[in-house]
Amino acid sequence: MTTQDERSIARDRMRFIKNSQSSNLCYLGILFDVFYFVNIYKSDVGTYYYTFKIGASIVYNLIFLLVAFLASEGVKNYKKEFSYILFVIGALQFARIFIIPTQAHSATTLVNDVAVSVMGDGQFFRVVAYLAISGAVLIAAGLINLRKCNALEEHLKSIGETA
Amino acid sequence: MATLSLQHIDKIYDNNVQAVYDFNLDVKDGELIVLVGPSGCGKSTTLRMVAGLEDISNGKLLLDGKDITNAPAKDRDMAMVFQSYALYGHMTIYENMAFSLTLRKENPNVIHKKVLAAAEVLGLTSQLNKKPAQLSGGQRQRVAMGRSIVRNPKVFLFDEPLSNLDAKLRGATRREILLLHKRLQATMMYVTHDQTEALTLADRIVCMSMGHVQQVGTPLELYDSPANIFVASFIGLPPMNFFDVTVSGEKLIGEGFEVSLTPEEKHTLAAYQGKQIVLGVRPENIVLGNDVPATVTMNENLGMNTLVHAYVGGNTGVKVTAKLKGWTDYKADDTVSFTFDRKHFFDKETTVAIHGGEL
Repeated sequence: MTTQDERSIARDRMRFIKNSQSSNLCYLGILFDVFYFVNIYKSDVGTYYYTFKIGASIVYNLIFLLVAFLASEGVKNYKKEFSYILFVIGALQFARIFIIPTQAHSATTLVNDVAVSVMGDGQFFRVVAYLAISGAVLIAAGLINLRKCNALEEHLKSIGETA
Repeated sequence: MATLSLQHIDKIYDNNVQAVYDFNLDVKDGELIVLVGPSGCGKSTTLRMVAGLEDISNGKLLLDGKDITNAPAKDRDMAMVFQSYALYGHMTIYENMAFSLTLRKENPNVIHKKVLAAAEVLGLTSQLNKKPAQLSGGQRQRVAMGRSIVRNPKVFLFDEPLSNLDAKLRGATRREILLLHKRLQATMMYVTHDQTEALTLADRIVCMSMGHVQQVGTPLELYDSPANIFVASFIGLPPMNFFDVTVSGEKLIGEGFEVSLTPEEKHTLAAYQGKQIVLGVRPENIVLGNDVPATVTMNENLGMNTLVHAYVGGNTGVKVTAKLKGWTDYKADDTVSFTFDRKHFFDKETTVAIHGGEL
């Protein structure tokens, strides 16, 4: 079997095999988001960065979980539009680094008239890593799905079928 | 493909119940063997022993001359299709068919080609993205067969695969299995209690009763020359009629009737002069005539034929079913007279056919 045959068969397989690669990456993105939010609401130094942003962050997390899960199901079935959704929520994960984590890391609060850092270095780097990984895998999931969708569309066109 | 040899196989369960006695059979390459018999006769047990799902108590099982008596089921290179389909409901048809090969970690592209080829053979190509629940019984059974085909096993084993289907679908799927066998030229063993399936599918039939093989032969041999009363009564629908008769010169004398013997029949029964034997006559070998008076009990019109149920020798005599050509309109208690076109003779004590039982 030539490489071209192999590629053609691999494309044909997509007609029957779900895009579990993208879907699993979405689940990974969700998992790292969970790691992020279970870490952000507890401070290493025993204090907390109480602002309205915490409430907004909780609400956004709920929305994120829903959208990411729906996207995981969408990409599983080679729905191209879910790739763009994944790009957006992936980019937003990177953007979130500059909201609560960065601000909390640079802020101080008074405890018994002593200024202490709201978020220590250890916690800061940890939550940044979680958000970055989550964002990266979501974007990767979207890219893989986009590539596969295009390949499948092209293949279906060549064999005269519609998706 | 493969040859299969079952040599002196017994199955004795732990509670000392023996299900199969001294089973001997050589299955030729590409042959479709059907094991037929009533429930509890040991046919499924035999198949399960071949598949490796049951231990063989005594005897040997050879596949292509290699002893596989104690080989585990996974190493026997056989595929089994069950009555219940055994499909995974959460998987698509494609995934169901590919499952065994995926477990073996075969190349996904190779799996894909095999699944598509099997789906093409079985007419399932358009169903590959569906779940089993979305398919009809016949289609599900084809998926089960497809799952076997993709493995390209040496031997296919079918355990009453059509029993869950309605009559119409059973007929259609039966024809598909026959076509599949012709196309694949595979060695197959097929278990059924339905004699119609056995007669239409088999290259050879193994007729079993109470764990014993009663007769092995082609469908025509079993129909035309049954080895004993059991085979004669089991093969054929409606079943053969039996009469206790005495051989007397050139006649057979039964209760309320006498029939003449041809010179050949007289010769066959020479050793039975003056003795009682069992006369067997198939319903389709009974025609209207003058030899056997009978009283009609029921008339069943089937279109092309009519089944006439009657008593020979008065209302307490022997019940007989005649399959007469055309449409008849007998009423209960009408008197008719039959002639037997063709006769089968059986020894009354041993139940074995006399000289092959057919003349």
